[in-house]
Amino acid sequence: MSKRVFNHPPEAATGKKYWRSLGQLSGTPEFRGWLEREFPQGASEFGGGEVSRRNFLQLMGASMALAGLSFAGCRRPEMQLVPFTRGVEWSIPGKALFFSSAYPTRNGAIPLVVTTHDGRPTKIEGNPLHPASKGATDIFAQASILDFYDPDRSQHFLKNGKKSDVATFEKELDELIKNAADGAGIAFLLEEIHGPTRERLRGEIEEKFPKAMWAVYEPLGGPEGSFGAGISAIPQMGKADVIMALDCDFLGTESTIDITRQFTARRKPDAGGKMNRLYAVENRYTVTGGMADHRLRMPASQIGAFALALAQEIGAKSSDSALLALVKTLPPATAKISAEWVKESAADLLANKGKSLVVVGSRQPAGVHAIVASINSALGNLDKTLTGRRGAKPAASIGELTKSIGDGTTRAIIIIGGNPIYNAPSDLEFAKVLKTLRDEKKGTIVRVGLHEDETSELATWQVPIATYLESWGDAYATDGSHLSIQPMILPLYDGWSELDILAKFAGHAKTTGPELIQETFRQAASPADFTVAWAKFLHDGFLAHSAAKPEPLAISADSTTSAKDNFSAPALDENSFEIVLTADYTVDDGRFANNGWLQEIPDPITKVTWDNAALISPASAAKLGVETGDVIDITVQERSLKIPVFIAPGHADNSLSIALGYGREVSGRVGGKDATGKSPGFNAYRLRSTAQPYFIVGAKVAKTGDTYLLAVTQEHGTLEGRGPDLVREGTIEQYKENPEFAKTLGMDAEAEWKVVNGKKTEVVTSSLYSHPPLTNQHQWGMTVDLSSCTGCSACMVACQSENNIPIVGKEQVHNGREMHWIRTDRYFAGVGDETADPEMVYQPMLCQHCENAPCETVCPVNATVHSDDGLNVMAYNRCIGTRYCANNCPFKVRRFNFFDYNQRNIEDRGLYKWNLTAPKGTEDSIKLQKNPNVTVRMRGVMEKCTFCVQRIQEAKIAAKVAARDSDNIRIPADAFTVACAQACPTDAITFGDIANPDSSVSKVRATERGYRLLEYLNVGTRVWYLARIRNPNMKMPGAEKVGAYSREHHHESHEGKAEHPGGEA
Amino acid sequence: MTEADAPTVSLTTQPELVKVPLVQNDRSLSWISDNVSSIVESRTPLWWWLAMLITTPVALFGLFCIGLQISNGVGMWGENKTVGWAWDITNFVFWIGIGHAGTLISAVLFLTRQKWRTSINRASEAMTLFAVVCAGIFPGIHVGRVWMAWFLAPVPNGNAIWPNFRSPLLWDVFAVSTYFTVSVLFWYTGLVPDLATLRDRAKNRVSRYLYGIFALGWRGSNRQWRHYEMAYLILAGISTPLVLSVHSVVSFDFATSILPGWHTTIFPPYFVAGAIFGGFAMVLTILLPARLLYPQLDDLLTRQHVDKMAKIILLTGSIVGYAYLMELFIAWYSANKFEMFTFFHARIGINNSGWYSWAYYCMMTCNVLSPQIFWLKWARSNYIVVFIVCMFVNTGMWFERFVIIVTSLAQDFLPSSWRHYSPSWVEIWTFVGTFGIFLTLFLLFMRFLPMIAMSEVKIVTPEADPHQRKPGSGVGTNAHHS
Repeated sequence: MSKRVFNHPPEAATGKKYWRSLGQLSGTPEFRGWLEREFPQGASEFGGGEVSRRNFLQLMGASMALAGLSFAGCRRPEMQLVPFTRGVEWSIPGKALFFSSAYPTRNGAIPLVVTTHDGRPTKIEGNPLHPASKGATDIFAQASILDFYDPDRSQHFLKNGKKSDVATFEKELDELIKNAADGAGIAFLLEEIHGPTRERLRGEIEEKFPKAMWAVYEPLGGPEGSFGAGISAIPQMGKADVIMALDCDFLGTESTIDITRQFTARRKPDAGGKMNRLYAVENRYTVTGGMADHRLRMPASQIGAFALALAQEIGAKSSDSALLALVKTLPPATAKISAEWVKESAADLLANKGKSLVVVGSRQPAGVHAIVASINSALGNLDKTLTGRRGAKPAASIGELTKSIGDGTTRAIIIIGGNPIYNAPSDLEFAKVLKTLRDEKKGTIVRVGLHEDETSELATWQVPIATYLESWGDAYATDGSHLSIQPMILPLYDGWSELDILAKFAGHAKTTGPELIQETFRQAASPADFTVAWAKFLHDGFLAHSAAKPEPLAISADSTTSAKDNFSAPALDENSFEIVLTADYTVDDGRFANNGWLQEIPDPITKVTWDNAALISPASAAKLGVETGDVIDITVQERSLKIPVFIAPGHADNSLSIALGYGREVSGRVGGKDATGKSPGFNAYRLRSTAQPYFIVGAKVAKTGDTYLLAVTQEHGTLEGRGPDLVREGTIEQYKENPEFAKTLGMDAEAEWKVVNGKKTEVVTSSLYSHPPLTNQHQWGMTVDLSSCTGCSACMVACQSENNIPIVGKEQVHNGREMHWIRTDRYFAGVGDETADPEMVYQPMLCQHCENAPCETVCPVNATVHSDDGLNVMAYNRCIGTRYCANNCPFKVRRFNFFDYNQRNIEDRGLYKWNLTAPKGTEDSIKLQKNPNVTVRMRGVMEKCTFCVQRIQEAKIAAKVAARDSDNIRIPADAFTVACAQACPTDAITFGDIANPDSSVSKVRATERGYRLLEYLNVGTRVWYLARIRNPNMKMPGAEKVGAYSREHHHESHEGKAEHPGGEA
Repeated sequence: MTEADAPTVSLTTQPELVKVPLVQNDRSLSWISDNVSSIVESRTPLWWWLAMLITTPVALFGLFCIGLQISNGVGMWGENKTVGWAWDITNFVFWIGIGHAGTLISAVLFLTRQKWRTSINRASEAMTLFAVVCAGIFPGIHVGRVWMAWFLAPVPNGNAIWPNFRSPLLWDVFAVSTYFTVSVLFWYTGLVPDLATLRDRAKNRVSRYLYGIFALGWRGSNRQWRHYEMAYLILAGISTPLVLSVHSVVSFDFATSILPGWHTTIFPPYFVAGAIFGGFAMVLTILLPARLLYPQLDDLLTRQHVDKMAKIILLTGSIVGYAYLMELFIAWYSANKFEMFTFFHARIGINNSGWYSWAYYCMMTCNVLSPQIFWLKWARSNYIVVFIVCMFVNTGMWFERFVIIVTSLAQDFLPSSWRHYSPSWVEIWTFVGTFGIFLTLFLLFMRFLPMIAMSEVKIVTPEADPHQRKPGSGVGTNAHHS
């Protein structure tokens, strides 16, 4: 029998480019040969019969190639099919495989489960087994999958900017290590991501090279804690009844999933237990401030003064001698602070001794941290609501590192991750120092990084990093437990992971498998049966019972001295501004600048995409004579920055908040400079110094007269008197008094309700038209709890990643054409003309899957119809794009493909090129991320939330498979959930079968505070919102205003155009 | 045509009761044929070439913009996630509204025996057709995937997917295509005797041949006239309900939706009145300059015609004004805050909360206030005033549709999704381009077809009266029963 050779078309196949992207792997003659044999002999690939993970991954890579030949061109398959006769371990073509892993972050790694399709990771989910995730993720973990496939990733080993290869690099690295002697002159600069193997290798390196310097830099790090070196204080939000956050965005930029969940679990009034109460003192609205029951806006530089006033009050009332002694040593603050606010909140904290908690943001200086530590001590919170944890061994700071390079001590520096040239404090002049090291002192700079960025430009060697999705590793979770990180795919560009580099220095050969991690695991777990334990470790994603033991907390003496030396809270000069530098909600410290999803996710507060801006209070803006979009010139000492302002309700006066992470000099096509030389946003790192890392007092601000276009997704931020209809809110007292209060607000006040067992179940409606009955045994529905939603927007990225939602670019966002299927509507709700201190409320908005859907009746071609399990479904290939459905949707959740976003370059006006002549197509690696179970939509069709219909279908198939011959094909309750609900760290979204009384969604739906939007329209939505319940302290000033917007009964809106926070930019 | 030419009046008749003859100056039948045909037969005037030199490039550039939009995507226009329709459907409703006057004049006035219609019906029917052509462009090209627009047709297919018969957009497809077909037939049927006249007068073979083909062998025999009149009557009978139905159906696009500002039961009659209003304004906008260019038509297109059309504009304009006010009343009476917001805030702009209030005031001024001048006789008989008012009405009627579509969409239920809208240059030029198409077609019509229905005008002359009343007696002119 002669072997049949498959002739792969050399160029013409639609899979062509796809094919190429596999580059090194698929290009090897061995692989080609394997592919071209009709029945590849798998045994020969497995080299000796033992299936190593390396080989397994190689075959996974091969399956990816097959995917390239079979999925890439859905419309017209013009490719040769190669039978998958020899399967990869566990792999069934078309079925997803799930691997547990972890996403390392500076606050602790997030345990994950990664979905892979035919060998390529496509979706990130939280690990439901681990308490630090419970299936949830944050916005960055969700988006990290796009970073992995970023076509602008560093792909080559570069020596002095010129392409080199891995062999040369390895040779030079070996030489460097050989000549290192005792390590003098060698320095490491790493990010603050800690894992057991990294710690172990660090120990080995320090042993081998005792004089080497180990520095860690995180641009968004905080000051040394008040409880001694290496001890960090972990808030136990779940145990705290009363929480005060001082400039601490513990639900936003300083959050972990753990903290967020613990806090929001206590915001659900019907979950049992006492509802917690949050006081927030901050200069600008943060998502934490939005969740607060009482919020005080004050400049960030005066938070210290507030802390002092609070300390005085609590010291006086509790007669805590240590606290009183500390207060006495500090200079009295001159800032004006509402005495009543301090008095009542302090009384509340004191009334909850041991169950209260005061947290302070990393933005605040050590002095304020020391005061707060003493307050917590006085409140008896230590080791109760605040517990200690021993962290990693202390490392040198970037300042010390710079000094050692400057004085010639350090001659070779290994920078792994990070981007210090861009984000080191500007007074260090890190770029100059490194340049001198490279050019004059002929030192070596090795940089291992994800992108060729600002730092790469100065590096002797730029090495592509292997991310957590393509390399072995381990990490500590937020609770200190030991997590495994396993690769799903070979390193895309032959990159080296952090551990690969460190292992080299520690004297190990570069490994391809998990040897290093196994060794660490062996030491940590010392299991009886290694193979079983290791398999379980990989399978579960963590080592059971490995969470860190709490360390007893004791305020260190240093801390008190530091308070004395570091405390100052001068009153603000009326004519100058304080500049507050903040982490960004979407690009963090700038590391996600080239991530299109994150650039396009609107900032939760401002709803600005693709840019940062200087947030300013309406009063200060009026005084300065600026509108949203006007460019101002900020001068701080000799540094200056031109940046547009954004008028932000709820912002403190005489204060400007600017998010860091924008204005990148060198990045990819998304975050870097475009044809006009402009990159997204403005670089606020330029204003930063070691002494004043987060806020700078005494800045001069001048209007320049220029304007800048800010693309906002939500132009209008007020409720226009529709609060009682759209966002229903009540206090806990109101809720206890009448749990059903939310059902009869606004237009529903007159509605007639069907009452079952004394509970209002649904509005009695009548319809002229009888719809086909919804006969399926499953009926899908969703609940959204406004009480626990923080507005973090993780759901948006999860949806984007799951459903192949394209990004559209800044210009199209400005034109109002973003594609997000779920959005978080943010309203500034005030009664009357309160623009200074409004409430901020969130409302996730997605297709409501109306039973009586207005979109369905108007579609002339039957492209959107109702399924018998209650979904409002879209047939993309039937849609001709009349947009009538979108017009008739009261929630405006339908999204139209105005351009061919998946085929066109969104930058450089690529969308406008004459399509008949312009080249088509998208980057190959981006295609690899796509979920193969979701159609990639073309231009001219409408799309919207499908309730993740692909997951529903998968669950149905699974139920049918499980049923075998029986008739029980019903999907069990809560067998699966949708992407947004799964990612939600606050469990605000619940999805499931409302026809199944055992499902969570059925139970949540039955809670009395559930209501449906625009019930009077008789559209019959399938999404129930649970009214937001807040827990104000009625003795506090302004307590009567909490939720008032939702109770008022005014028909005429008195909120004129003055309240227009979205601004017409 | 001056006051001195007024017919002699018998002593017993009050002057205001005297019927003014439809054709002035006792023109003979052959005068009518000569003068109307001369427009087609004479050398192409210079102004025609100049006009074509403007309208054709405009039309072509409009088509270029359409090509740009189709090849790149609807994103070439200014619509966004909230405002899904804007100039596209505004223009569609605007043109389809204009396309009402012609058939109304030909059919409804025919059935109601309004003899003054005869000298204006041809041109206004042509105008109707060209307006419907322009209107038809927009629903065709505004969709995202033009090449799939055939999904709208109830074509049996393998998937057994039919169009959605509940969708008003589908009703539109049927209503507009029926209207266009019937209008073409009606117009063409009316043209047949005049084409025969042109054929008989033709001096060169080509035109004789072409007119001959389209005259369908018309010889003017008694039998042919009998069939013709029957056909014409039937078509008029079919057309009349269509005049009312088309714009009613178009209004259903809005009325059956749930959007405040669209969801309004008053829409069908209000749209029909508005269409007649706008249509008559456009007829006058076209005919007044035509009359200036062809002074020989003075005796056919008389002050009386203009006066009557101005009265119709006044009437329909007032109906439209009433509808506007009724919408406000109902919004208030509903006590529904969403409805009230749309009308009192988004449109009227209480508290400066309406983004497009200027458009509402523009609409009110042009449509409701400007025609009120027609209460005055001097205004109705002053061509310049009439022309200016008509231009106002044309503008106002465009703004009416803009107000309905854009203001209702831009500020709808959830303030979070409110979104400003502004047109792109492609969108603006597509609209301007349709004026190019419309005027180009009308110029071609003027050049190659009789602008006035000669045979019908002849029927209403005294000579056509079988009782042979003395021409200009002032009594018999309108007494003929056909």
